[in-house]
Amino acid sequence: MEVFDVVVIGAGPGGYPAAIRAAQLGASVAIVEKERLGGTCLNWGCIPTKALIAAAETFDRLKHAESIGISVTGASVNYAGMVAHKNKVVAQLNAGIKQLLTANAVKQFAGTASFKDRGTIAIGDGTVVGAKKVIIATGSTSTMPGFLPKHPRVVESRGFLDLEKLPASLIVLGGGYIGCELACMAAMLGVKVTIVELLDDILAPADVDVRREVRGHMEKKLGIRIMTGTALSDVAADKNGVRAKIGSETVEAEMLLCSIGRKPVTEGLNIEAAGLAPTQRGFIEADDYCRTKVATIFAIGDVTGKVQLAHYATSQAITAAENAVGGKPKKHEMLVPSVIFTSPEIGAVGLTEDEAKKAGRAVKTGKFRFAALGKAMAAGEIGGFVKWIADSRTDQLIGATVVGAHATELIATATTAIRAELTAEEFGRTILAHPTFNEAWMEAAHAVHGSCIHAAPLKRN
Amino acid sequence: MVTPIIMPKFGQMTEESTIVEWFKKEGDKVAKGDMLFAVETDKSVMEVESFEEGTLLKIVTKVGIGVPVQSIVGFLGAPGEAVPEVPALEVRSSAKQAVPSQAAVSRLPERPSAATPAAAPGPVLPIEQPAQIFRISPRAAALARASVIDPKPINGTGPAGRIVEKDVMAYLASRGYDALRISPAAKALAVKEGLDLLAIPATDGRIGVAEVERAVAEKPVAMPKMRQVIAERLTTSMATAPHWYASVSVDMGEVIAAREQMKAAGNKVSFNDFISYATVASLKDFPNFNSTTDGKVLRWKSRVHLGIAVSLDEGLVVPVIRNADELTLAELGARAADLAVKARAGKLGPDELSGSTFTISNLGMLDVENFAAIINLGEAGILAVGAVVKKPVVRGDEIVIRPMMKMTVSSDHRLIDGAMAARFINAVKKRLEDSETWKFLT
Repeated sequence: MEVFDVVVIGAGPGGYPAAIRAAQLGASVAIVEKERLGGTCLNWGCIPTKALIAAAETFDRLKHAESIGISVTGASVNYAGMVAHKNKVVAQLNAGIKQLLTANAVKQFAGTASFKDRGTIAIGDGTVVGAKKVIIATGSTSTMPGFLPKHPRVVESRGFLDLEKLPASLIVLGGGYIGCELACMAAMLGVKVTIVELLDDILAPADVDVRREVRGHMEKKLGIRIMTGTALSDVAADKNGVRAKIGSETVEAEMLLCSIGRKPVTEGLNIEAAGLAPTQRGFIEADDYCRTKVATIFAIGDVTGKVQLAHYATSQAITAAENAVGGKPKKHEMLVPSVIFTSPEIGAVGLTEDEAKKAGRAVKTGKFRFAALGKAMAAGEIGGFVKWIADSRTDQLIGATVVGAHATELIATATTAIRAELTAEEFGRTILAHPTFNEAWMEAAHAVHGSCIHAAPLKRN
Repeated sequence: MVTPIIMPKFGQMTEESTIVEWFKKEGDKVAKGDMLFAVETDKSVMEVESFEEGTLLKIVTKVGIGVPVQSIVGFLGAPGEAVPEVPALEVRSSAKQAVPSQAAVSRLPERPSAATPAAAPGPVLPIEQPAQIFRISPRAAALARASVIDPKPINGTGPAGRIVEKDVMAYLASRGYDALRISPAAKALAVKEGLDLLAIPATDGRIGVAEVERAVAEKPVAMPKMRQVIAERLTTSMATAPHWYASVSVDMGEVIAAREQMKAAGNKVSFNDFISYATVASLKDFPNFNSTTDGKVLRWKSRVHLGIAVSLDEGLVVPVIRNADELTLAELGARAADLAVKARAGKLGPDELSGSTFTISNLGMLDVENFAAIINLGEAGILAVGAVVKKPVVRGDEIVIRPMMKMTVSSDHRLIDGAMAARFINAVKKRLEDSETWKFLT
C-alpha cells in the first residue's frame, strides 16, 4: 500500500489547490476525484454559467446599443455556438488543472474515495492508499425536492447547463443567486421566465436596496415574472411541457429549473470509519483552522457547510494544506466577498446594513449612484450604486455592497479596504483614478461623512 | 414646603455614613418610595428611599463624603423654592474610593470635558498623591496624541525634565513603534477607548481591531461598592486574625431521621437549621468562640447572634439571627428562611446585616465536600459546612454506607488554641450525631 503525506478527496476549487499547496511545501500528495477535475465550479457551476452569461450580456448590449450610437440589425442567438464556447473554456481549464497537478507531482486517482480507517482510503476500483493526513473537499450537489417529477423537462443547474437548446419558456423554482443568474441569462436570450420563491424576496441575504434595484431591472427590463412568498405545487411534466400550481393559478412552461439549494456530498465516503460523524444536515464540521474532530483529518469548502463559494474553498484549501503539512496553525480567512452575475451584477463583502444593526452595531452608510459618475455615463452604464457600511464609533469600514455594471470586479476594491481595516476617512483620502467606476467607492466614503463632492448636500444650514 | 433629607442611622453602631451614589439629580421629580441614594456603612451598601414626594432641590452631601448620621444631605420641595443654607459636613474623606490603577492596560490621561465638571462644589478633598507636575511641550503632546500613546513613561530631556518632541520620537523608536503595523480602524478604536497602543500586545507585529478589542475587554473597571466592602473586610480579617483550621466528618444519619420526622409533622427544617442549632448550643460551652479580640482586649458576647452566609449574584451577605440562643429549632429554621428570602429580595434592614457573633457558611447545596472559610471581621470563628455524601465508613469492624458531612471551623488563633477548636468542633459533631439532641425537638 502506497502511503502519502497528504491525501485530498475531491478535486474541485478546494481540493486541487490544497493538493498543490501541500506539494509545494514538500509533501507527497495524492488526490482522488470521482468525476472531473475542477469540480462543480469549473464543470457545472461558476465557469460554464459565466461563459453563457457573458455571451447573453453581449447580445443584450447589442440590442440596446442604439443609445450610444450603434445600430445593429439582424443580431441573433446561436445557442449551440454559445454552448460550444462554454465547452471549449471548460475543456481548456480542465486540461490546465491536470497539467498543474502533474507538474507538482500530485498523484491522481479516479474513483470514489471511501475511508477504511482514519489513515486508509479505498478508491473505487480497489486501490487502497495510506494517508498521514487527509483533506476532505467533496463539495456539494443540487437538492431536488421529492415533490418534483423525475422527467427530462425538470432539471437542476447542472442539467440546465448541458442543454443544447434553450426552452421557449421556463419556470425557475428558487430565487437564490443560482436561479436568478440563470433566469437573467435565459431572459436576455428571449426565454419567457417565471421565478417562484418561497421567501418574501429573491436574493434573500443581499442588501435590501440592492434587491430592489435588481428585482426592478429583472421585472421591468428583462420581463421576468417574479412571484415571492409563495410555493409551487402539483408539478406535472410530460412530453409537451411542465405544469404546476402557484396558489390557485396554473402555470405552464417548457421546462422547470430547480435551484432551491445545495447539499453536502459525503455519499460513499464512509466517514464513520474514520471516527467522524456528519452533522444533522449532513455536513462535516471543521473549525477555523479547517480541523475536524479527528486530528489527522481536515475538511474544507461546501462540505463543511460554512459559506458555499469556490473562492472561500480555495482560501481554506491553502490554510488547510499548510496546517496539515505542519508549522504554526493558522486560521482561515473570514472575510468572504460574494458576487452574483445577475443583470445587473451584485458584489458584497462584510456586513450588510441590516446584519450590522441586528448585531447591535451603530453604523453610518455612504452611498453613491453610478448615475452621477462620469465614467458610467460615458459608458452608458448608469444603473446601480456602491454603498459603504461604517462603524459609527470608529469609522471602520465593515461592509460594502455594489450593484450595477462591473459590480463583481468592483467588490475587490472594497474587500481589500475592509481586510486592511481602513476607516471611511482613510479610504476617502485614497486617490482613485479618473475616470473609472472605482471612483464611486471614494465618493461613497466621502458620503459616509456627508462630504461628497459630486452629490448635493442632504441639507444646507 | 422644603423638607430636609436626613442621613438615616443604620443599626445601633453606625456613627457616620458615606453616600456612594445619588440616583436622582437636582431638579428631578421624586415620588414616595423612590430610591434617593446609596449609602456605604462599615458593613454594607444600603439604598435609601424617599418618604416624601417633591422635587430634589439641592444635594448637600456629594458622593464620596462621609457625614454623621442624622445630618442633612439634601432638600426636597416644590420647584423654585428657596433652600436654607446648610454648611456641608464632612467627617472624613473616603480614601477607599481609589481604584487600583495597576493593570495590564494603562490608560491615557482623561481630558476634562465641559459636560462633567471635575471639581464639584463643596468640601475639597485632600489630594493624596504628591502633586507631581507633568511637563510636556505642545508639539510633544501632539505627537503622543497622534501616535495614540501615553506620554507619561517618557523621560523628558527639556528644561525641568520637560518632555519635548525628540523625546517622544526616541521613545517611539525604542519601543519599536514604527515596525508595528497598526490598522487605521484599530487606531481609531484605541483613540475612542483611550488606550495606549504600545500597551496592546501585537499579533505577528500587527495591531488590528481584534487586538484593540481584546485590550478594551481587559480595561480595568471599578468593582461595585458592595464588592469593595467585601474585599476590604476579608483582607482585614485575613491579615489581622491568624486563621487556624480543624475539620471533622459527621454522620448525619440521626439528623436525617429527625428531619424526616419533623417534615411528617409539617415542620420544614433544613440541614443548616440543625447545624445552626448544634452550633449555638456548643457556643454556650465554648464562649471564646462567641467573643472577639483585637489582640489586646478580649470582648465577651453574652448573647449568640448567628450569622448565616447567603450568596447573591452581586456578592455575599450575612444576615443575622438575633438571640439565636433563645430560639427553638423550629424558630431558628423560620428565622433563617425569612432572612434568606429577604436577602435574595435585597430587603434586609441594617440591623439584620450587622452584629453577628459567629457565622456559618454552608456550601452543601453547591456540592462542595470540604472547604475553609474566612472569619467574618469582628468574630472569633466561622464554621464551613460541606455536602452530605454517602460514604463507606467503618462501624465496629464492618464497612457500612453512611450519610457523611464534613465541616471545618476556622478560628482566630490569637484567642483560641488548637485543642479548644478541636473540642468545640467535636462538640458540634457530637450533638449532630446524638439522637438525644433531637429527640425532644421533633
